[in-house]
Amino acid sequence: MKFKDHLGKELLFFDGAMGTMLQKQGLRSGELPEVWNATRENVILDIHKSYLEAGANIIKANTFGINPFKMEGTGYTCEELTQRGIALVKRAIAETGKKAFAALDIGSLGKLLEPLGDLPFEAAYEAFRPVCVAGEQAGADLCLIETMNDTYEIKAAVLAAKENTSLPVVVTMVFDESGKLLTGADMEAAVAMLEGLRVDAIGLNCGFGPDVMKGFLPKLRQICSLPLVLNPNAGLPVVVDGRTCFQVTPGDFAAIMKEIAAEGMSILGGCCGTTPAHIQALVGACQGMPPLQVTEKNRSVVSSYTHAVVFEERPMIIGERINPTGKSRFKQALREKDMEYIYKEALVQQEHGAHILDVNVGLPEIDEVEMMRKAVTGIQGITGLPLQIDTSDGAAMETAMRLYNGKPLINSVNGKQESMDTVFPLVAKYGGMVVCLALDEKGIPKTAEGRVRVAEKIIAEAAKYGIGKKDLLIDTLTLTISTGQENAQVTLDALDYVRHQMGVHTTLGVSNISFGLPQREKVNTAFFTIALSRGLSAGIINPGSEAMMAAYHAYCALNGSDVQCADYIGIYSQQPGAPGAAPAKSGEISLYDAVVKGLAESAYQAAKKELQDKEPLAVIDGDLIPALDHVGQGFEKKTMFLPQLLMSADAAKAGFDAIKEHLKAKGDDSASKGTIVIATVKGDIHDIGKNIVKVLLENYGFEVIDLGKDVPPEDVVKAAREHDVRLVGLSALMTTTVSNMEITIQLLKKEAPACKVMVGGAVLTQTYADMIGADFYSKDAMGSVRYANELFGA
Amino acid sequence: MKVDRKETLRYLGYGRQEADGQTLQLLEEVAAELEADSMPKSIYREYGCEVEGDKVLFGGLAVTSASLARNLKGCRRVALLAATIGRTADLMIKKYSVLNLAKAAIVQAAGAAYIESYLDEISAEIKKDAQGRGLYLRPRFSPGYGDFSLEYQKDIFAMLECSKRIGVTLTAGNLMMPSKSVTALIGLTPARGQSCQMPSCSQCGKTDCEFRQEE
Repeated sequence: MKFKDHLGKELLFFDGAMGTMLQKQGLRSGELPEVWNATRENVILDIHKSYLEAGANIIKANTFGINPFKMEGTGYTCEELTQRGIALVKRAIAETGKKAFAALDIGSLGKLLEPLGDLPFEAAYEAFRPVCVAGEQAGADLCLIETMNDTYEIKAAVLAAKENTSLPVVVTMVFDESGKLLTGADMEAAVAMLEGLRVDAIGLNCGFGPDVMKGFLPKLRQICSLPLVLNPNAGLPVVVDGRTCFQVTPGDFAAIMKEIAAEGMSILGGCCGTTPAHIQALVGACQGMPPLQVTEKNRSVVSSYTHAVVFEERPMIIGERINPTGKSRFKQALREKDMEYIYKEALVQQEHGAHILDVNVGLPEIDEVEMMRKAVTGIQGITGLPLQIDTSDGAAMETAMRLYNGKPLINSVNGKQESMDTVFPLVAKYGGMVVCLALDEKGIPKTAEGRVRVAEKIIAEAAKYGIGKKDLLIDTLTLTISTGQENAQVTLDALDYVRHQMGVHTTLGVSNISFGLPQREKVNTAFFTIALSRGLSAGIINPGSEAMMAAYHAYCALNGSDVQCADYIGIYSQQPGAPGAAPAKSGEISLYDAVVKGLAESAYQAAKKELQDKEPLAVIDGDLIPALDHVGQGFEKKTMFLPQLLMSADAAKAGFDAIKEHLKAKGDDSASKGTIVIATVKGDIHDIGKNIVKVLLENYGFEVIDLGKDVPPEDVVKAAREHDVRLVGLSALMTTTVSNMEITIQLLKKEAPACKVMVGGAVLTQTYADMIGADFYSKDAMGSVRYANELFGA
Repeated sequence: MKVDRKETLRYLGYGRQEADGQTLQLLEEVAAELEADSMPKSIYREYGCEVEGDKVLFGGLAVTSASLARNLKGCRRVALLAATIGRTADLMIKKYSVLNLAKAAIVQAAGAAYIESYLDEISAEIKKDAQGRGLYLRPRFSPGYGDFSLEYQKDIFAMLECSKRIGVTLTAGNLMMPSKSVTALIGLTPARGQSCQMPSCSQCGKTDCEFRQEE
C-alpha cells in the first residue's frame, strides 16, 4: 500500500494532536515530548492506537521537535528518537490491524535563517537531513513538514527530504488572520515556491480552528494545482487559570470540517487541542465523501519571500540594472565585492516600479558562483521583489536557485541541446520560470518562422522534464535596426505568434533595438510600446528611464490592464509637467550648506560644480570636512542629533562620490588616510551602530573593511593581519557578547600586538572598556572619528 | 496601535529640544511604514510561583536571580509573556542602511518605541484580568535585567513555544530575532502597595546611561 496511490483518490484522515494528549499524561511545560519515544513509549503507543481506533489513516509520528538544536543535551540522538518514533507508529498499526500510513513529522527548527537570523540555509538543510534519513530507514510512508511559518526554512526541509529520501512530501503552514505566514509570505508566494519544488500536497495547520481556516480555502483551491490538506486546531487557544485550552467540541469541529470537505479537500485531520474524539467525529461525518478534484491551474508565476508575481494580461517590468555589461562602475563594484553598490541598484529599481529584478554578476576575473551566492542572499535580504537569475554558468545558476527564497525566474535557456541539458534539470528540481532564447546551434534564425520553430523545440524539450508552457517565457530576441531594418518586424512577428497562437508568455531585452543609433531612448520607447501591444508579457528594461516607464504606464492605461487608470493617475497626477524644482534649487546651495543640511543630491551637484575650478583636496579640506566637523561638534554639544548627523554623513558621502568619479576620470586613485577593520563581535547581530561608524570613518577619508556582524575573533585577527591595519573597531550590544569582545581583544593583542582596538556599543562604559583591555572607548560615532584622526595623525 | 513619536525622539537623543523638520518628516514616513506593515504578535501564560531566597520557581522552571527574586517578592502568581512587532522593522533597517542611514536609525528608535507600546497594551490586558481576582501587577522584568541570565531564554522559549506561536526565534547567543521582541515576567501580587506597573530605570545597573530617568 503506497501513500501516493491513495492521495487525491480518496479522502484521507490525519490523526489529531500529540502535545495536547501528552500534557494530559503529565508532560511538563517546556519538556521535550520526543524524549518520551524512549522513556514512556507505551504512552505514545496508546495515543497512536486511540487515533487509529478513531479512524485516522495517517498517523503522525512523535518526531515533530527532533532536530540537532533541540536534542542537544538530552542524551539522545536525532536518529535514535526518530527511529523509535516511526517504530511506535508501525507497531500501533500492526497491533490494531488497521490500514494506515506512518508520517515522519518534521517541525520548525526554532531558528531564524540568514540574512535576518544567524542560521545559514545549508546549516538548516543539514539539521533536517538526519531526521529525514532515519525516518525513511525506519519505514515511514511519507514526510509531513508542518507548522511552518518561513518559506526559506520550508525550502531547506523539502530539499533535505527530497534529496535524501524517496518519501512523498506534504507541507502544511501556519497563516495568520491576514493570510500571511509570520515571516510575511502570502499564500500565493508559498504555493508558487512549493509547486516549483514539486511537493506532493500543500495545506494549512495549527494557528486557528476550522471556522477561520475555512475562509482561506477558496483562495487556496483557486491557485493551487496540488492535493490540499487541513489540520486545524480545536479553535483558538484560550488561557484559563494559566493553562492553554482549546474549546471547540468534537461535534462542532466535525460539523465545520464536513462543510469544508463538501467544497473539496484531500486530507483532513487535527492539530493542537484535537483528540481522538475529534477525529472520530470527523471521520464519522466525512468518511466516503469524494476528495478534491485536483486540476492544473496553469498559472505563470514567480515569487519572492513576500509575494508572487503572476503573468496575466498586465505586462511586467524586469529591471536590467544589476548587470556589469558596459558599466565600468558596476564592474569595479564586483571586483571590490562592494555589495552595497549592488543593493542600492536593487532598491532604486524597486522605487522606480520594477516588478522583478534581473541579477547578473558575471565577470571573467571573479568567482561568479561565490558572487552569485552573495548577491542573491543579500538582495533577497533587502527587497521583496522576485529575482531573475541571469547567468550562463550552470554552477552559479544552481547555487542561486538553491539559495533563492521563492520561485525564481531563470535567464536563460536556449535551443542548444547543451543549454537545455543544463538548465531544465535545475528547473525541474528547484522550480522556476525560464526565459527561453529563440536561438540554437545554428545561431539566431533570420525569420520569424525560424524563431518560432526554435521556441517549439524548447517547449517540447521542457515537457520531457515535466516543465509546462506556463513556466516558459519566450524571448524572440531583439536585434538592432541599425544593422538591418527588418529586425524589428521579425522580432515582433515571432513575439505575436508565440503569445497569441502558441499561448506562451514572452519577454524581450528591449533596448538592444537601438544599438548604434543616437538618442536611443526615443527608439526604445516606441519599440517598447509596439512590443507591448503585440503581446510582450515582460520587458527587460531600465526602470530608471522615465520615458520607458511612462510608455509602460500609458500602455497599461490604454489596454485596460490598469483598471480605471488608477496607477497612471496615482503616479502622474503628482508630477508637474515641467522638470522638477530640485535641480534648480541645488545650484543655489553651497557644498558646505548642503552637507550641514543633509541634502545628498544637492551635495553631489555642488561638489561637481566646485570641482570645475578647484582641486579635489581643496574641496575636501575646504568644504566637506569643515561641514562634517560643524555637524559633529553640534552632535557632541547636543545641539544636533543622530538623524541630522547621519543625513549630513549621507550628503558628505554623495560629495565624496562626486570627487571619486572626478579622480577616476583623470585616472587618479584617491589616497586613503589609513585602513580600519570594523566588526560586530561574535554572538551579536545588532549592527546599526557599527554601520554608522563605518559611514563616518569613510567620510573622514579612511578606508574601512567591514567584516559584518556575528564575526568570530579569528576572522577579526585574520583581517587585521592580512591588511596590516593599525586600528580595529569592535561593537557589541549585549552584556553577554561583551565577553566575546574581550576574547577578540586578547587574541588581537597576541596575534597583532601593534594594532589598537577601539570599542563601542550600548552596554559598554569606560570602566568596562578598560577592564576588557580596549585602547579606546568611543561613547558615540563621532568619538571613533576623533580617535582615528589622532592615531593616524590627521 | 501608533508609533509613539515623542518616545522615539527621546530614544534618538532629543531631550527637551525640538526636532528639526527634516527629522520629523522622516519619522512620519518611518512610522507610517511600520504601522502599515508590522505584524505584532504575543503570547502569555500564567503560572503559580514561589520565591525562596534568590530562587524563583514557576511552571517547573527554577531561576536563580536575586534581582528577579526581589522583583517578584510576595507574588504567588506570575505571567510569562513574549511579544514581537515582527520582522518589518529589521527589514526596514537593512533596507535603509543602504538607502538612507538617518532613516535606519529612526527605524531603530521607532521600533523600540513600538514594541514598548505593544507591551503596555498587553500589560493592560493582564492587569484587567488580574484585577478581577484581586491581584496587582509588578513591573515587567526581562532576562538580561540585573542578574537574570539570558540563558533562561531557552527555557522561556520552550514554555511559550515562541517560534511556533509568534515566530520569534533565538540565535546561538540567546538573542531574539526579530530583534524588536521582548520576553518578560510580570509578578501578580495581592498587595496593592507593592504594585507599580511601569518598569523603572532604578532597577538597571547602567547608572551612566544618558536615557536614565530618575524618579
